[in-house]
Amino acid sequence: MRQLPPLSLYVHVPWCIRKCPYCDFNSHQADESLPEQDYISALLNDLDHDLPWVQGREIQSIFFGGGTPSLLSANAYQRLFVGLRNRLRFAPDIEITLEANPGTFEAEKFAAYRDIGINRLSIGIQSFQPEQLQKLGRVHDRAQAQTAILTAQRAGFDNINLDLMHGLPGQTVADAMADLELALSFQTTHLSWYQLTIEPNTEFYKRPPRLPEDDTLWDIQEAGLRRLQALGYDHYEISAFCRNGQQARHNVNYWQFGDYLGIGAGAHGKITLQDANVIIRTQKTRLPRDYLNPDKPFLAAQHSIEPDDIGLECLMNALRLKEGILVEQFEQRTGLSLDRVAAPIARAQALGLLNVDRALYATDKGQQYLNELLALFLTD
Amino acid sequence: MSQLDHIRNFSIIAHIDHGKSTLSDRFIQVCGGLSDREMQAQVLDSMDIERERGITIKAQSVTLDYTARNGETYQLNFIDTPGHVDFSYEVSRSLSACEGALLVVDAAQGVEAQSVANCYTAIEQGLEVRPVLNKMDLPQADPDRVAQEIEDIIGIDATEAVRCSAKSGLNIEDVLEDLVAHVPAPEGDPDAPLQALIIDSWFDSYLGVVSLVRVKNGEIRKGDKIRLKSTGRDHGVDGVGIFTPKRKETGRLGTGEVGYIVAGIKDIHGAPVGDTIVSAKHPDTAILPGFKKVKPQVYAGLFPVSSDDFESFRDALEKLSLNDASLFFEPENSDALGFGFRCGFLGMLHMEIIQERLEREYDLDLITTAPTVIYQVLTRKGDIIEVDNPSKLPDAGTIEEMREPICEANILVPEQYLGNVISLCIEKRGVQLDMQFTGSQVALKYELPLGEVVMDFFDRIKSASRGFASLDYSFVRFQEAPLVRLDVLVNGDRVDALAVIMHRDSVRRRGAILTEKMKELIPRQMFDVAIQAAMGNQVVARTTVKALRKNVTAKCYGGDVSRKKKLLQKQKEGKKRMKQIGNVEIPQEAFLAVLRVDD
Repeated sequence: MRQLPPLSLYVHVPWCIRKCPYCDFNSHQADESLPEQDYISALLNDLDHDLPWVQGREIQSIFFGGGTPSLLSANAYQRLFVGLRNRLRFAPDIEITLEANPGTFEAEKFAAYRDIGINRLSIGIQSFQPEQLQKLGRVHDRAQAQTAILTAQRAGFDNINLDLMHGLPGQTVADAMADLELALSFQTTHLSWYQLTIEPNTEFYKRPPRLPEDDTLWDIQEAGLRRLQALGYDHYEISAFCRNGQQARHNVNYWQFGDYLGIGAGAHGKITLQDANVIIRTQKTRLPRDYLNPDKPFLAAQHSIEPDDIGLECLMNALRLKEGILVEQFEQRTGLSLDRVAAPIARAQALGLLNVDRALYATDKGQQYLNELLALFLTD
Repeated sequence: MSQLDHIRNFSIIAHIDHGKSTLSDRFIQVCGGLSDREMQAQVLDSMDIERERGITIKAQSVTLDYTARNGETYQLNFIDTPGHVDFSYEVSRSLSACEGALLVVDAAQGVEAQSVANCYTAIEQGLEVRPVLNKMDLPQADPDRVAQEIEDIIGIDATEAVRCSAKSGLNIEDVLEDLVAHVPAPEGDPDAPLQALIIDSWFDSYLGVVSLVRVKNGEIRKGDKIRLKSTGRDHGVDGVGIFTPKRKETGRLGTGEVGYIVAGIKDIHGAPVGDTIVSAKHPDTAILPGFKKVKPQVYAGLFPVSSDDFESFRDALEKLSLNDASLFFEPENSDALGFGFRCGFLGMLHMEIIQERLEREYDLDLITTAPTVIYQVLTRKGDIIEVDNPSKLPDAGTIEEMREPICEANILVPEQYLGNVISLCIEKRGVQLDMQFTGSQVALKYELPLGEVVMDFFDRIKSASRGFASLDYSFVRFQEAPLVRLDVLVNGDRVDALAVIMHRDSVRRRGAILTEKMKELIPRQMFDVAIQAAMGNQVVARTTVKALRKNVTAKCYGGDVSRKKKLLQKQKEGKKRMKQIGNVEIPQEAFLAVLRVDD
């Protein structure tokens, strides 16, 4: 019988004070008061439907993403945790991350979040430069960003991620490096340093900002990587850096093609079904008002991944990791023999993009041209 | 059955946009050929491409019964003709079925060069040409000036020209009255053995080959045995009739009439255009003068992007050629592009249309190489070779002399754009033969290298004159010229499909522009790509497509993978439209970059 991968839980909070022009996530402008209690009840109801998919597993990690999860009160989370613990078995070393906006309103809650069991914060700084924050439509300013980080640290969070963007409109290498230095000065354990990309269905897509030239983008990237390496950060995933081995375990589970339940408006899930021997992807109802409507189902879509696509979907995630994925783990999690992808593997090796020993992992060149590498695994 | 003296066979000569299709639709309406419900705008352009582009490619006919003001009913056979310069050979075919032609001129714009050329063809073939001034509904219509222009440029009397508007319906019946009164009835002997001319043939998947014919003498009836003079083969006539414009079986076509026959012929080559049909009982009946065989002017290599498509590509070309005798093709093998076909076209528009039809109707992904005209090579041994493919040009050492085709171009241009058009002619190495000022237009006659004219001259002349200048051209001779082959090397490898023949003086300039264009069109890859333009061993221009420094999606959190996958799929789709040369991926458009060096 097929061994099931580890299981995580993703919880989506679909509201923001204001939608950022680069954001294509499922987020909606929040009204004066949020239907907090109704939403918590809905999340637990939603989870009840998903419980058969747990199949006896412990929950390794929980991630509260958004939207802006820090808009909800600690009380609300406390009630949610009670409900979650009644339904799920938490692993003893469970990682519980909450995405937080670095505003004053949010920072005030950090200590309370810590008290109820949230043990990791991911703070969406994006930039420290006032003019960039304004262009990015962020509601916080530089001082608030700094205060938020310090508040989190004082509240006892010892596992903090900072989200920082580069390649911002009009940004020079010096601008980007100044942002990076400032972020690093807080000595947090984790950094998600990623290039701004313009996604469809965003304000930026409709009215594209003037982004730096390709050569500048690359120079920024190279300068940043050199700096992070010099400071001893482990560049363990394309855009993720950590110290002391404190990887984002929740994300690593995604990247290693683990399973996750997704609850909340528009949340995605991925589940291996042991009996049916298939992998399914699920999506919940997107609009908050539909999600909160008891007459509407939570589940909006569910499909099993085509056997031809499983290899690609696994590697799309796994090859982002420096370590890639163990061959054994690949076979276990995809349910495929490695032979199934022998042809693209051979092509990738011939192009110098992929190494295969005990694990499958991208070469330096493969990391650099990851999209070229992954495209080899696309079936027609 | 109509008496000979109640038949009128006519064509319309008109420039694109001068309203021919609208006018013919009006005729059909006036004569009740179609109900209002069936009147789809421009019914005669039946191919999708024709309707979309608003042009006529193939000749078609329609038979209408017109009751004239004198109370008599006439059978009007209208043979439609294509309007674009590429298809002028179809015009002369259509004209040979007629006794008269309407010269339709836009009363706001005036005469266009191609109409002039077609008018001369009609006059040479003995047709009565009746001028018609159309678009009288336009406020800028200036019929007196345009009538004068017709007299000045073409030399026919335009004082009686009917002034009408096909769009508003003004004076449409006057046009028909004028036609009935002045176009002569056909001549011929109804009692003589059958003699009919094939004006056009096309392949219909239900009926087999359908031929549009003009009966000169005698008659054709359903069930008759006929003989085709060119093949010597006999066929039984399964169907005879007319187009109203719907196909209508009449069982008979008499002397002077125009209509279709179906005779169980399976292959278009069994009923070639211009052939004479006679009765199998009188196989010795004389052949009618046919048509000049049309020669392709432009050649290009067409290659399927995926080599698996080669056979379906061949099938598609064969099917297209059933309805397009002017399409020439033969297998070609390119080092860079693999197996494909070298195709000959009447002009660039024809090439575009064929390519579009192949891609659209037959779902093929094709790469087209730069089009070329035929060059002549005189070898040291004294042989003359015709070259329709630059990569097949013999070694420079064996060439005594290169010759390029020269054409005579007639251009009509409003005075205010004369300067632009003359500059363009000079740029294209034109030699002026004549310049006449007539009315408000200038008639220019130039000798130009055909290679310069067929590529983009038509579009350039249009843009140099805000669309008002018009052009007609015909091949006159081959002439010695200092021609060389420009090769393109991608990362050191010569790409045969990118070679072009050009004038020595333009090699450096065009080589530089070409490599720049290629640089824009070839996407950055994982390594530097060097693009060189060379004449023999001498590199005349060079650019480099710098390597892509990375290609990776910045942030990817597991949640929703579908968007990421779409991105990869899009990237892969893009690659499918590219051809791998060595390890370099070259997009389709790059093979036509040479066409854009004059942009």
